[in-house]
Amino acid sequence: MLSAGDDLISISVANPREAQDLALRLRESQAYLEVVAGLDSVVVQFDIASKDRNEMEKQIAEVMALPGSTRATAQPVVEIPVCYGGEAGPDLADVCEQLGVTQEEFIALHSGREYQVDLVGFTPGFAYIGGLDKQLNVSRRQEPRVCVPAGSVGIAGGMTGLYALQGPGGWPLIGRTSFILFDAAADNPFVLVPGSKVVFVPVAAM
Amino acid sequence: MTIQVLNPGLQTTIQATPRIGMRHLGVPASGAADPLSMALANRLVGNDLLAPALEVLLAGMSFRAEVMMQIAITGATASCTVNGETAQLYATLQLAPEDEVHIGPAEKGARSYVAFAGGLLADDTLGSRSTYLPAGFAGFEGRALQKGDQLNLAEADHTVEMLQTPAEFRPPMTDSWTIRAGRASETGLLQDADQLFAARFTIGNRSDRMGLRLEGAKFDIRSDGRMPSAPVFPGTIQCPEDGELFVLAVDAGTTGGYPRVAKVARLDLHVLGQLRPGNQLMLIERTDADAESELREKQQYWNAWLPGVERII
Repeated sequence: MLSAGDDLISISVANPREAQDLALRLRESQAYLEVVAGLDSVVVQFDIASKDRNEMEKQIAEVMALPGSTRATAQPVVEIPVCYGGEAGPDLADVCEQLGVTQEEFIALHSGREYQVDLVGFTPGFAYIGGLDKQLNVSRRQEPRVCVPAGSVGIAGGMTGLYALQGPGGWPLIGRTSFILFDAAADNPFVLVPGSKVVFVPVAAM
Repeated sequence: MTIQVLNPGLQTTIQATPRIGMRHLGVPASGAADPLSMALANRLVGNDLLAPALEVLLAGMSFRAEVMMQIAITGATASCTVNGETAQLYATLQLAPEDEVHIGPAEKGARSYVAFAGGLLADDTLGSRSTYLPAGFAGFEGRALQKGDQLNLAEADHTVEMLQTPAEFRPPMTDSWTIRAGRASETGLLQDADQLFAARFTIGNRSDRMGLRLEGAKFDIRSDGRMPSAPVFPGTIQCPEDGELFVLAVDAGTTGGYPRVAKVARLDLHVLGQLRPGNQLMLIERTDADAESELREKQQYWNAWLPGVERII
């Protein structure tokens, strides 16, 4: 457990599943302003004007000492159509060159398996999806883009990221989907949640 | 009870309370970029400190009052007029029907706030009326105001006193700012962490409610661009591989993959809303303990004019 800023406590965990599980259990308490899971950490924000850091750390340690949940709920598989490369995925050619694969090989590797959503974050509905084929591990762009179109599909650090909204972004873009990932007006605005199962289905056009 | 937008300026949005407790769904805080200035405007018209108000970016804006109403303008230094006559900032203003209010361009600072007695009526999405432009929700149709928009006001349920903000409670505007900040989770990846608190930064042009670029100093960072995405907050300062820092603001995303090398202390977060491209900035280092005790002192100071300021800073 480490300070991550004046009102933040960061807890390292082994993987996204543990992060989600710990965050869920911490969120049962009303003591924190925010409990946010990352891929290998959970960060708690607390009100430093009314709460003591040592006391917060003690409470978190108590929750961590309890056994985690091993619940696995059956999830339907969500099919996400992806138009790979071209204008929809402006970085696909570069990524393939970097990885030494053809675009056809890339698409076969990327769409040929079932994934699970590890994390929803960044912007409303942005889904981090782990389990990418080990051959497809690339890094983020050195300079983030100012404007990534909604529906863009990026990869970085062994993950696929789905940009629900238009906005800035640093992941190389390999394609785009017409699938609506976030709808503020819907009863349930968040279509994908941590644990959702997804497959990518190549389509010729948006 | 309406106003009509005559000229919306560069970007005018309705802002109110931040969204709290939704970052794990990817939903950012939003709310006023400078909540202290917004609270000062609401105070002058007797509203809740976080009642929906207008946030006006850099270029100013103008509107017409359709009925009698009381308003107040705070924040950036700007020349404001009512029907062409100079209007005071930091004072309750009485408007008559057909009065035209013009907020001039910001001379120092970046954002003006206009509060209306009773508060603006606005769309509530995910628990707040604050506009979040990237997803296009809440506030006024989820967007920045346009010419001809008619905004409705709630009727004030209180008598509005004509007030002026005492001089000692008017946040000074400048071109050269200092902000208190502390080390964060990946500060250790910097070759020279002390540079954070020695550098003179210039605010970059590509700065908005999501974040501000800190130019003029390059940092050497040991990073391969493959850091697992981790939670970030307004005030988090990140360092991509190109070594140019950026600081996250109220609309920033909730997780990010660039090293988190510093964090603006809670007590100075409101200042981020007044930084404009070209302004100078220095970070002053504070330990967590000092940032906490100075927050308490700051809240105590401001409570004399803004009871309930703990919700603001």
